[in-house]
Amino acid sequence: MSYVYAVARLRGMENHLLDSAFFSRLMDSATIDDAVKALGETSYSQWISQTGTANFDKAIDSEILATCEELKSFVPDKELLDIFRLPYDFHNVKVLLKGLFKVRGGETEGRRYDLLSKLGTIDTEELTNAIETEEYGFLPYGLTDLIPQCWQLWDATKNAQAVELLIDHQMFKAMLEVAEGLKMPDVIQWVRYKIDAENLRGAIRLSRMKYDAAKALPFFHEGGTIRPDDMAKLLNEPQETWSRILSYTDIGAVLNALNEQSDMKASLTDVSKALDDYLLKVLENAKYSMDAPANVLLFLLSKEAEARNMRVALVCVAGGLDRDFGRRLLK
Amino acid sequence: MEMLGLSLALFGAALAAALAGIGSAIGIGVAGGAAAGVMTEDPNKFGSCLILQALPGTQGIYGLLIAFFVLNKLGLLGGAGAVALTWNQGLQIFASCLPIAVVGWYSAIWQGKTSAASIQMISKKPEAMGKAIILPAMVETYAVLALLTSILMLMGVQVG
Repeated sequence: MSYVYAVARLRGMENHLLDSAFFSRLMDSATIDDAVKALGETSYSQWISQTGTANFDKAIDSEILATCEELKSFVPDKELLDIFRLPYDFHNVKVLLKGLFKVRGGETEGRRYDLLSKLGTIDTEELTNAIETEEYGFLPYGLTDLIPQCWQLWDATKNAQAVELLIDHQMFKAMLEVAEGLKMPDVIQWVRYKIDAENLRGAIRLSRMKYDAAKALPFFHEGGTIRPDDMAKLLNEPQETWSRILSYTDIGAVLNALNEQSDMKASLTDVSKALDDYLLKVLENAKYSMDAPANVLLFLLSKEAEARNMRVALVCVAGGLDRDFGRRLLK
Repeated sequence: MEMLGLSLALFGAALAAALAGIGSAIGIGVAGGAAAGVMTEDPNKFGSCLILQALPGTQGIYGLLIAFFVLNKLGLLGGAGAVALTWNQGLQIFASCLPIAVVGWYSAIWQGKTSAASIQMISKKPEAMGKAIILPAMVETYAVLALLTSILMLMGVQVG
């Protein structure tokens, strides 16, 4: 399938993406009403006028959802969009299961439907019904088998973190399967790098908790370019040496950059930011191709980053938080 | 055997028009896809997109030109009837048509791809229209060289 039309249209849509200068200006707004006024000429204004300023979170989700729907109308392979939306499905599964765990534990207010995201590929009502009525048969991405496994694990351990890990393992497995089904090397590579990035984020977190390397293996996901075994072994080494150990991988360069900035002790937010930037850079080669399908993913990630920046800016303005801190969080 | 020369020459003319025409159609199609994508977001870019989309169309014209040249040489255009050709002369005319047929076909497709990339470029940077035209025009050079080769070869073939 040709992506010439789709990529050209995305190039046009890229012109409407909001840049960092805009967000910087947005952060200078004195009140949330001023910020909403500043959004007047952006595509977000239509959603904010529907949801009201207090619910800007929903407005931002609506904007991403509308973008996904628009892309669905012209992108030849819908599965490319699924790769982007699939994590939201798994997020919803986590929210629903955790809610039910609490309800079964006796908490009447356990369910948190407000945390469900509409960005997933599975309709939230259908997913809720499926999980609450235990009819998982129609669920995609291996959820049919995964959810009963989660219940078994919960019944055996009452450990919500272990259940989350199990869900994440399946999420990355499903992402890789969808990417491999598309037979697009750039996209497969990106998913594998994403798994590496997630594993590395986990490794840094575990290392800071001084977690025992021998017990760390279950925390790492299969499918990346770096084996989970090797990731777990990193925990035996000082963090400063990780970039050298991982120098044979592309992601080693991210650690190298953090090392050069003497920033290995940086907050996890900064590390996450560096890894997210890396995942965007991985796809940036697609910019030089007039018909690379990876451009679709690149656009969606850029839009997601824009939405994240919007959220950071509006939260800062609405909550009267420190603007400099907010600017640091911008991507 | 006496019609073989004429058949070969006509086959060459048909190839020149057909292959170069097919290449142009594909090239214009590719560039058209990109133009449609850009114009969906910004209809004001129609003028710039049209110029870039039209660039791969020239190979089809070159092919047609060579086909006319051959038909004229064979005496098929004036109504005076076809000249007598040996199979050797027919083969020479056939060979003369090959440069524009093959190069026209292939270069039009690649020019279409370059035009599509240029269309995407002007979507982001409309002020770079001049540069955007030059890039696909570079591909045109080789189509022009092939046209010249075909013309010179045809002029060298003695018939009648």
